[in-house]
Amino acid sequence: MTALPPLRRGPATPPEDLSSGRRMLGVEEGNDAIDLVRISDDLMELNMGPQHPSTHGVLRLVLELDGEIVKECMPDIGFLHTGFEKDFERHSYQQCIPYTDRMDYLAPLINNLGFSLAVERLLDVEVPPRGQYLRVIMAELARIGSHLLWYGTSALDLGATTPFVYAWRDREKILDINELVSGVRMHTSFIRVGGLMADVPDEFYSMVEEVITTFPRLIDEHELLITKNPIFRDRTRGLGVLTAEDALSYGCTGATLRGSGVPYDVRKAKPYSSYDHFEFDVPVGTHGDVYDRYLCRIQEMRESVRILKQAMDNLPTGPVNTADRKVAMPPRNEINTSMESLIHHFKLVTEGFRVPKGSVYQAVESARGELGFFIVSDGENRPYRCKVRAPSFSNLSALAHIVRGLLIPDVVAAIGSIDIVLGDVDR
Amino acid sequence: MEGRRAYDLLIGKTQAVLDFEEALGEVTVYIARDQLVEVATLLRDDPDGLYVLPIHVTAVDWPDREPRFDVVYQLRSLAHNDTVRLIVQVPEDDPTVPTLEGVFAGMDWHERETYDLLGINFAGHHDLRRILLPSDWIAHPLRKDYVSFGEPVAFTHNIEWALPAQERPDNMPGESR
Repeated sequence: MTALPPLRRGPATPPEDLSSGRRMLGVEEGNDAIDLVRISDDLMELNMGPQHPSTHGVLRLVLELDGEIVKECMPDIGFLHTGFEKDFERHSYQQCIPYTDRMDYLAPLINNLGFSLAVERLLDVEVPPRGQYLRVIMAELARIGSHLLWYGTSALDLGATTPFVYAWRDREKILDINELVSGVRMHTSFIRVGGLMADVPDEFYSMVEEVITTFPRLIDEHELLITKNPIFRDRTRGLGVLTAEDALSYGCTGATLRGSGVPYDVRKAKPYSSYDHFEFDVPVGTHGDVYDRYLCRIQEMRESVRILKQAMDNLPTGPVNTADRKVAMPPRNEINTSMESLIHHFKLVTEGFRVPKGSVYQAVESARGELGFFIVSDGENRPYRCKVRAPSFSNLSALAHIVRGLLIPDVVAAIGSIDIVLGDVDR
Repeated sequence: MEGRRAYDLLIGKTQAVLDFEEALGEVTVYIARDQLVEVATLLRDDPDGLYVLPIHVTAVDWPDREPRFDVVYQLRSLAHNDTVRLIVQVPEDDPTVPTLEGVFAGMDWHERETYDLLGINFAGHHDLRRILLPSDWIAHPLRKDYVSFGEPVAFTHNIEWALPAQERPDNMPGESR
């Protein structure tokens, strides 16, 4: 297995004929924007994005074309870089939670979960069973929602308009549940260090039950539209093949890796938040092509519904937050009667909790793959360093390898199949 | 204990381990800088290791410590269901580590990100450019001595702040922190 070949070919002969272009645009030598669009004799360079509708955000690709065949693909990322990792260093741990929402904004609850679990390990805090189960339920709902959006948009990229509308209809049910429990549809910050924002209201049970009972049928509907559709199958089978060996070498995880036949799922490998209580399968593909990655994600939605059903059937009663008053807010009625609780409340709101020195790496299975938080604490109330291992970042780095030799329209199919979120890539 | 397997393997077959740490169920192995590539190759290929999945690369800046930077590698073995964290410590005046691009293709972007945000030099990397920040950005933001916040919004009374960073006068009004 070999590394990517150098993207900048022929460094010995600088493209002197671009100096007029540089002057016109007022950029200095060595600036990417100009260097990347060098033109050679027989190859054409085509700029795709960052506003291209199929790049799902602000991804820029520079394609080197021989006719219509992609010879080289140079992704250019960072348009959505927001410096969250730097922001973490000056916010208390609870204040970091809303930032995690905004990374992978299609499944924000899983990001909350990963961050919370990492900090809880540093704090040595255990969340009660009901809290853990509700976390699983919310994370699986988020996963289904994210996969529905991927299903709709990646089919739309290939020219199928109808699935998008169906996917939107179903995803709305999940956003309604988000709104019910947290008041917000997308950036919920519902999962917090030490537990949850609050216990769920009574309507929650019937709404999740509805998802559990209706979604298997709705997923059948989605499959009816696409899975055996001859146009879709002819278009995607054998396209954008990623071998298991290459996928691993590039650090791909999630359905991008599983589509290549590697059954790696963090929920199975390193169970967290009671995932070991549930019975579910990890779907894997065989060919590593666009179609197999599609099948994996569709099947994952069914498995998520299975997990939801088990979690709802066995949902324990009791508190959702840890009893450790140094971490979780005391209940409102306790503040009225207990001086201790009032002090804890005041300290938590103004200062947050202090986390013992140490470093920890906590991985969770996000809708896109292994999402990891590497947190270094120096004993203060804010992280000393927090690195986010974003699944989309590693998955996208394999894109150039996947699309080499494909046609331009197939690049669109390949981008759709690795399911990136640019907020996750750039952070 | 996660990473114990990798530690045992490295102790048995190389001289590269400088130190190790056990905390919170994870083992951190400190590796000599000049043997990093051999260590990564061994961990990837040895049947007792098979750490085939590169998870991430990053660095941690400790400005008051010598050596200043911890370059952190996280590798995962699927066959043995294990994760290990390798740390290479590099000093401030020579923040260079050999690239692992040849071992894991996915290290390419992670190393570029670490270079971009923390200024760690990956010797031998084929294309070590900024990846997230614009190419004309100055300094490396995740270093602890990087002054980021407190840059005021430019109005008519402090219009100097509207200039690009390199063209601003040295002592400007309204600077905080």
